Amino acid sequence: MSPARAEVLEGNAVTGWLYSHRDQILVLLILLAGWHGLSLLLGVYWVGTPWGVAVRLYNGLLSGELIRHSSYTLAEALAGFVIGCIPAAILPFLLRRLPIVTAILDPFMVGGYGSPKLALAPLFILWFGIGIESKIALVAFTVFFIVYFSTLSGIRALDTKLVLMAEVAGASEANVARYIIFPGAVPHIFTGLRIAMPYSIGGAVVAELISANRGLGYLIQLRSMNFDTTGVFVALTAVCLIVFICNLLVNFLERRLLKWRPPSDVTAQKE
Amino acid sequence: MNAATDTFAADDAAAARNRKIIIRGGQVAVAVALIWIWKIGADTAGELFVADPFKVWDRLIKIAMSGELWMHTYETLRISFIGFVIGCFFGVLMPFVLRRLPRLTDAIEPYIMASVGVPKYALIPLFILWFGIKDAPKLWLIGLLVFYPVFIAIFAGIRGVDGRLINMARVVGASETRISREVIWNALLPFFFSGLKIALPRAVSAAIIGEFLVGNKGIGYYIEHSRQQMDVTGAFTGIIVATALVLIVNSALVYIDKRVNAWRPTDRHMAV
Amino acid sequence: MSALLEVRGLAKRFATRAGREQSPWIIQGLSFSVNEGEFLTIIGPSGGGKTTLLNMIAQIDCATDGEIRFQSNVAPVNDMKSLKPGLDCQIGYVTQEDNLLPWRTCLDNVLFPLQVQGKLNDETKARAQSLIRAVGLAGWENHYPHELSGGMRKRTSLIRTLVYDPPVILMDEPFGALDAQTRLQLQDDLMRLWNLGKKTIVFITHDISEAIALGDRTIVLTRQPSAVAGEHAITIPRPRDIRGIMTHPEFIELYNRIRAQVQ
Repeated sequence: MSPARAEVLEGNAVTGWLYSHRDQILVLLILLAGWHGLSLLLGVYWVGTPWGVAVRLYNGLLSGELIRHSSYTLAEALAGFVIGCIPAAILPFLLRRLPIVTAILDPFMVGGYGSPKLALAPLFILWFGIGIESKIALVAFTVFFIVYFSTLSGIRALDTKLVLMAEVAGASEANVARYIIFPGAVPHIFTGLRIAMPYSIGGAVVAELISANRGLGYLIQLRSMNFDTTGVFVALTAVCLIVFICNLLVNFLERRLLKWRPPSDVTAQKE
Repeated sequence: MNAATDTFAADDAAAARNRKIIIRGGQVAVAVALIWIWKIGADTAGELFVADPFKVWDRLIKIAMSGELWMHTYETLRISFIGFVIGCFFGVLMPFVLRRLPRLTDAIEPYIMASVGVPKYALIPLFILWFGIKDAPKLWLIGLLVFYPVFIAIFAGIRGVDGRLINMARVVGASETRISREVIWNALLPFFFSGLKIALPRAVSAAIIGEFLVGNKGIGYYIEHSRQQMDVTGAFTGIIVATALVLIVNSALVYIDKRVNAWRPTDRHMAV
Repeated sequence: MSALLEVRGLAKRFATRAGREQSPWIIQGLSFSVNEGEFLTIIGPSGGGKTTLLNMIAQIDCATDGEIRFQSNVAPVNDMKSLKPGLDCQIGYVTQEDNLLPWRTCLDNVLFPLQVQGKLNDETKARAQSLIRAVGLAGWENHYPHELSGGMRKRTSLIRTLVYDPPVILMDEPFGALDAQTRLQLQDDLMRLWNLGKKTIVFITHDISEAIALGDRTIVLTRQPSAVAGEHAITIPRPRDIRGIMTHPEFIELYNRIRAQVQ
């Protein structure tokens, strides 16, 4: 194929994409125009212009300020996420053969799952100070219950016939856990991780809002106290970008680890 | 469940009763142990870090007697309820409007789904900046937090209504209003409830978080104010009230859901 | 004889999406008529547009071409908006799936048509009860559909249509997914109920024995696009013994003739 012809085809693909998404592009333009219109109407003091936010975002990234605060928030979210997830994913496996213990723990777990965990933020700040530790503790606590219940549902939803088949085929208890239960529960664990991920970042940001001296939540709070709406928008955009990127990462990991699943994602829909 | 439960089913009723007693006893033991650990924690860490459980109890009685507790609880419930109604209204209305406008739905769906990922709590300072320090910023926060789960549940529910049931109803002579009331409404109810189960506890939590940051009333305010005064007992008491409030709302919803959606096979099996 | 329901030159193809090839004809040039009080069975290969045919007669789907006439009413062609589903309750439709409302109990499902038609009174309620007894559902009235077996659900959906007494009833392989024993029982029930009222029934099936055992007349459809491949009057005298009919000499002769036509 000659290069010129390929270019024409690519041009067609691009215009084709633009054409099929014309409604969505129109909505985006309307949203941006509405935003800009609002900032003209109310003044930059109340609503920063989209262009102003883009410039500040770019400058913030260049100067390293935004990166520094983002990395604090990200570090808190990530550390809390890992500390909360690991015991939450392991515990149901340990409890699999102990239905009575599971039943005893159940009301406490349900209570922990339903309780307003962000309301504990002041407590964690009291215990661990205004630094990174209090945020990690809050995030870990939040994430734990979400992942615990999705892992538990994964183990419960497991096909008993598969386990019996493996036992009949002579698999040991360890083998059953390793080859049947774990792979069967992984999709559910991932569903839990996918749900918990935005909570971990949100939790870190909320704790920072309440009391901190760095991080994106702190940045949002500081700038809004200084009536710097453009600055608040920039920090918010950074938070959204982090959530978006983390989402992509979890989805990517899930697709890599769960290649065996049929494309119509039945498990995820059931959750 | 697994093989262990099957053996229980095979055993006689006495074994099942024994098992229930063991579970209830275990739960009481765990609860006592938790309070005991709490007490030890209070004794070792000191009252600047962990409040004494008995003093928390005394405080609870005291603010209940003085009326302070009811005032704060009322405030928190009031703000959560108004915010909840606002969020629910738009969350239910929008899918019904969008149902009739498929082209608009396709155009705005990616933006709605993208905005789900925005951490709403991070918007509080902006809301305070824009809407002042009265109810408005809290209502915006609660409204947004309630809107999304309700919207998503109803949206999915409307897409999932079985067209064959609608056709059947038409053939036997049901009017369109009748179909909306009978088929669509009933088919949507479980989805609506699954949205509510997320949204309603969330509304109360959001009210409490909002009160941390703005206002001078409500349980959230009581917690944060106590913390700032280094009144650890007060903070603990507030947190316990907040947790109890959310858990009560939660279990009330679960109970109503079971009643209203009794026809669903899954609930039946879970209840058995 | 006067034809109650007449289908002439019927054709159907589903709407094509932009930029794709035209979708094939499902039905083309299909013509037949149904007399009042007749039990007509229709046999055709699976995927042959039989359900689509009934959907069009019941007016929940639209013909692309041709004519469907019920008494003086002509169904609209290519105009989904002016369809009249069920033609003011004159055409009942027992679909392939039972389509019971999962949030209504067995009895409430049976009463549903009466309720929406505003005909719920002591007389019709008693009729519903007697139908429930007639098909052996007594004692199950207050159970939800998911608590009933497949056969019971089928019976419920059958008497849900019988209860409001439409002059014509369409049946789309109603007994297709049932086990042989339940099917025989239900065929028996249906014969009994039909003998009481002598309704006009259009019954679709892919089972040749069922078509012969139940019908006054059988129409055999061709492969897609569907048209009439053959027509057979069934003169086996009624009342028929559903279980013993296989040994009737006329049955065997009919069976062989029809099987030759069903490709």
